[in-house]
Amino acid sequence: MTFIDKDPATAIDLIKDGFEKAGYICDRHIATSIYLSQKLDKPILVEGPPGVGKTELAKAASEILAAPLIRLQCYEGLDESKALYEWKYGKQLLYTQILKEKLGDLLEDAVGLEQSMEKLHQFGDSFYSEKFLEARPLLQALQSEEKTVLLIDEIDKSDHEFEAYLLEILSDYQISVPEIGTIKAKTKPLVFLTSNNSREMSDALKRRCLHLYIPFPDASLERRIIQTRVPELEENLRNQLVSFVQQLRTQDLKKLPAVSETIDWARTLMLLHADTLEVDLVRNTLNMLLKFEEDIDNMHSEVPKFIAAAQSERM
Amino acid sequence: MDKALADFVEMLRYSDVPVSISESVDAAETVRLFGYKDRGLLKTALAQVMAKTIEEQESFDRCFDEFFSYQINPDLAPDETLDEEGEETGENPDSSPEITPANDDDNSPNPASGGGEGGGGFSGEQSESGSAAPLLDMLERNDRTELTMAMTAAASNANLRNIVLMTQRGLFTRRIMEGMGLDDVNREISRRNKEGDAEGADQLSGRLELLFDAVRDMVERQLALTSSGKAKQFRQDILKNVRLSNVEHRDFKYMRQLVQRMAKRLTDMNSRVKKVKNRGHLDIRKTMRRNVAYDGILFETHWKQKHKDRPKVLAVCDVSGSVASVARFLLLFLYSLNEVLPKVRSFAFSGDLGEITSDFDRLGPEEAIPYAIEKYGGRSTDYGRALEDFKELCLDEIDNRTTVIFLGDGRSNGADPRIDILKEIKLRAKRVIWLNPERKSVWGSGDSEMLRIAPYCSTAETCNSLNKLELILRDLLKSN
Repeated sequence: MTFIDKDPATAIDLIKDGFEKAGYICDRHIATSIYLSQKLDKPILVEGPPGVGKTELAKAASEILAAPLIRLQCYEGLDESKALYEWKYGKQLLYTQILKEKLGDLLEDAVGLEQSMEKLHQFGDSFYSEKFLEARPLLQALQSEEKTVLLIDEIDKSDHEFEAYLLEILSDYQISVPEIGTIKAKTKPLVFLTSNNSREMSDALKRRCLHLYIPFPDASLERRIIQTRVPELEENLRNQLVSFVQQLRTQDLKKLPAVSETIDWARTLMLLHADTLEVDLVRNTLNMLLKFEEDIDNMHSEVPKFIAAAQSERM
Repeated sequence: MDKALADFVEMLRYSDVPVSISESVDAAETVRLFGYKDRGLLKTALAQVMAKTIEEQESFDRCFDEFFSYQINPDLAPDETLDEEGEETGENPDSSPEITPANDDDNSPNPASGGGEGGGGFSGEQSESGSAAPLLDMLERNDRTELTMAMTAAASNANLRNIVLMTQRGLFTRRIMEGMGLDDVNREISRRNKEGDAEGADQLSGRLELLFDAVRDMVERQLALTSSGKAKQFRQDILKNVRLSNVEHRDFKYMRQLVQRMAKRLTDMNSRVKKVKNRGHLDIRKTMRRNVAYDGILFETHWKQKHKDRPKVLAVCDVSGSVASVARFLLLFLYSLNEVLPKVRSFAFSGDLGEITSDFDRLGPEEAIPYAIEKYGGRSTDYGRALEDFKELCLDEIDNRTTVIFLGDGRSNGADPRIDILKEIKLRAKRVIWLNPERKSVWGSGDSEMLRIAPYCSTAETCNSLNKLELILRDLLKSN
């Protein structure tokens, strides 16, 4: 993907097309942030309601950049030994054993304790060295020779401390291992952080990132998404289906249906060989869209109204 | 960074978008990449660099539209008049030798033309501004870019950014126009009139009028931008200091945001304390490191599990008639605390005491607060009974990590306040905080039992404004 040297508008169009080929329909906002992140060497913090394709964005980016995706799923209690690096304890222990056995040979010609110590100090101390370092996702991304896409998924689920670990990586693309020193990125990865905003990220983290908010798509974008993802679905039904979902999103629901749910629903309808929305059919499959019993109950009576509106809407 | 962008950053900061220095550096880089041509694209790009939450994004969009509508694309004069009087540009009587550093390269005047009378004309009032751009010349040539530059420069000389009040509009418009060299243009118009060049005079005054409009627009916008930001800040400051009982209903929403922000900060500050427990998962890394000296035999162990010392809070709120005016806000504070802190149990009482935690969890604040007042309020206060109920409900739960907060005026209507229970609570709890909406000078007057209560509290403070509340709580947590 060679958009880097183009002027912004062309580059952004190129990115958009690239994403489309990878099956990810995006708007200018998203393409702009990819361009900016490449130009400014900044990570992208992606926010938005669940199911709008935040993680998919990183996957698609890895595809169009032909860069491997390294994914780190965050959760409460995630710490540096699982995200950054870990020592290979077993090998370290073996190393000391070997050292002990070989010590006699090595210090053979040394006379007296002092000389032995001096000799010992001459050997490289490799107990804490990169050889014994087990790279976890973040370190892997930094060590990789080729460009990678690093996805730090659901950063809002992690603890405050973990956020602090990340700051060094996000701003300077390096990490500090106390026993070794600083490890710098060989090639700067493209970093995505996704968040559902279940907690507010710290200002320090936000300052280091570009901020991309992905909202629910509008009707025309959603139609294109469905067209790409479920191409077998007939156009007429697709339009009705998108219109129906869009109406649902205007309702006061516990959880609004996201794009991923629309796609699931489209697949369901296709499997059931539906060619138009019918009240019973919709009611029976409403659980694909709505994930709370309460929501389903509330919407049950609204279904005919929405279907009528969806069908009268001629695209 | 160019001046327009710097101004824009400042404007954003006033409008609740805190742009840090590193972000403005990024913004400058973005502007360099994108240029000002494609405004839509620039907006998208800058938004991602500078606005980091959805609320900030909204402010950003508004500011961007307002700001760049005149910065970049000034609607100064209609295009068709552009070339009509090209031949007249030869005579330009004014051009001052001095230029402000602000309007740097773009509008350097023609130094050759006789600048004798120009400088004197407006130096009287605006001598400190020194922005004597050859306005007449620019008007004649109808050079939009230069006019805008001059306008911006004059505006910054006139300190337009400090405009706060509606009534200042006329003043600022005048100052900017004078800073740009209005007097000379007026002189030129009257000269042409005298010499019978009515057409030339009309055209010039027409263009001047358009410029006036543009300046007026700019002043309007600046007023809208800065004053909205400043006014909001002003309002928040006032709200924090105003006595709780005086806050009107319409401010309730703001108040709630303030309380929430405050409560959140308090939890953030307080939940950091940690202890390492000696059970759970073995922290192999640390253990290894400790035991290298022992030949790899692990006999100094380290454990992974850390204990987060989340504060446990029991809050008791008086909702009786004597504190009716502040009860809503005490409850609101309680409610917000309940939202932010994981382990808060809330109680309300006037006569009997009851737990309202589950109601708070279930209902929104608009419903929950009146509900609590209705359910427990209205009766005359009896601290003794309330404390008895409290003891029965949750004395066992109070341990050395628990903070007990009482919100009330300590007026027990003559009934025994059961200081002994309070003492017992004090002995068990980490701390007991008593927040009283009354001033300290009236404590102990009438049926107030505050003087008896206070010794058994870690802190007993007057709390009648949010600011006070914030100060008290912050001090408390600091000394933790």
